[in-house]
Amino acid sequence: MPVQDRTNEFRSCVESIRNRSAVPRNVEAKQRLLHAQAKGGSKSDFTRMASQIGKEISATTIKLSKLAQLAKRKTLFDDRPVEISELTFIIKQDIASINKQIAQLQAYTKQRNAQSAKNPASRQVDEHNHNVVMMLQSKLATTSMSFKDVLEIRTQNMKESKDRTEQFMHSTSAAATQAPSNSLLFASQRNQDPMGDGSSSYRPDYKGKGRARQNGDVLALDLVSAEEGSGAPNGAYAQMQLVEQQDNYIQSRSTAIESIESTIAELGQIFTQLANMVAEQRETVQRIDADTMDIASNVSGAQRELLKYYASISSNRWLMLKVFGVLIVFFLVFILVS
Amino acid sequence: MKIFALSVFEAVPSGSATLLTSATNLSSFSFYQKGSVGEFMTFFSKTVAERTPQGQRQTVQENNYTAHVYNRGGAERLAAVIITDDEYPVRPAFSLLTKVLDDFTAKVPQSSYSNPSGIDFGEINAYLEKYQDPGQADAIMRVQQELDETKIVLHKTIESVLERGEKLDNLVERSNALSMQSKMFYKTAKKQNSCCVIM
Repeated sequence: MPVQDRTNEFRSCVESIRNRSAVPRNVEAKQRLLHAQAKGGSKSDFTRMASQIGKEISATTIKLSKLAQLAKRKTLFDDRPVEISELTFIIKQDIASINKQIAQLQAYTKQRNAQSAKNPASRQVDEHNHNVVMMLQSKLATTSMSFKDVLEIRTQNMKESKDRTEQFMHSTSAAATQAPSNSLLFASQRNQDPMGDGSSSYRPDYKGKGRARQNGDVLALDLVSAEEGSGAPNGAYAQMQLVEQQDNYIQSRSTAIESIESTIAELGQIFTQLANMVAEQRETVQRIDADTMDIASNVSGAQRELLKYYASISSNRWLMLKVFGVLIVFFLVFILVS
Repeated sequence: MKIFALSVFEAVPSGSATLLTSATNLSSFSFYQKGSVGEFMTFFSKTVAERTPQGQRQTVQENNYTAHVYNRGGAERLAAVIITDDEYPVRPAFSLLTKVLDDFTAKVPQSSYSNPSGIDFGEINAYLEKYQDPGQADAIMRVQQELDETKIVLHKTIESVLERGEKLDNLVERSNALSMQSKMFYKTAKKQNSCCVIM
């Protein structure tokens, strides 16, 4: 539990302040205790207000611890949403009121600073008051932080219990809210996204008209604390707790966009297939190219040979004439003999 | 698939709605019916706008008219109503309503809501005309259509690539055969030269 109850420490601090400031004026101390005059009254005013704030903070912390215990329950059926939401509401209101009181206290101290005399005692007192206010603010800040954590735990548990409910009972609302998990965009949350699209958060921002509040069925917890003007260490915080209900418009938009997304994925696949096929055909084309080169060289070589042959034949004519002359002589010889 | 009327109301949560601007397309009705149909449209829109709680969308069917209402509430407490026939797809109707409301809040200041006749929002007519064909006007549907067309084109491309593959195989065979033949040609020619040197 990040919550600690330090009211007693605070009270002891307050007592020590009172005693310390009473030391230089111990003559008046008894009178003050008896009469509770204006100046002394203003001191105890501050401490009164501060102690009241401290008490309220401690009460709120107790409620918060109870809420945390309720939120941690993981049963399916015994969940008490009414109690939890009531308690959350009460705590929220308490924190807001504590905030206001601290703001008032701070304004009060500032006012006193403006009016205070210049003796060192009162300056010390003012410093101390300022410190006390700071401490209260920081305590409130830690309380609100733990409140936010408890709400986050509660949201997570609700989601888990809803998942388990789906496992046991298939309901249409469960199917409808499960639709986004089939989308490719979710794949990057689970494993490698084949499209290389690293978007890991599926926020249905439809052209800037994202509707997180749906149909008035949503239980929205708006925790926006007023920021202290002095830049105190409690920042603004907000938390939304969605109770999922069906909203046809949003669902239909999400399905339409999912179909677009799947179409685009298909197109991507088709493109890669196309690229593959063309790459396969590249090898064939290269073979054809090599073959045609061979053909060209072969044919040109053959033509060269034929030209050589022709040249040799035509240059060989004188030998041919001599050969023919010998043949004719032999032929004449044969005829003269016969 | 038609839009008959498109109107913007200022919907006070407890009571009546005030018509701020509207546009109608009653060309499908005969001349004598236009008046009564127009009044019916206005009345229908007003009633439906009054009965829709803030921040909600609703669809109401009446005979063969369907009214889609989106009561946005907000600071200006605006609500938009569109009356279409049965075939008009629901989702683009609501996106049209959201668009009209956004445009309206951007253009018309809240101060002129008390004087409805002085409001000049001519774009509502343009919207009515444009969205008669939701397939073209609504961005999501248009994207889907274009993607489908692209898919068809790609399928044809893949078929032609397959044909190209076949032709390439054909070419490879033929070039192979031709290459063999040219080699034989070259060898024969060479043989001619080396063989008969005697003569």
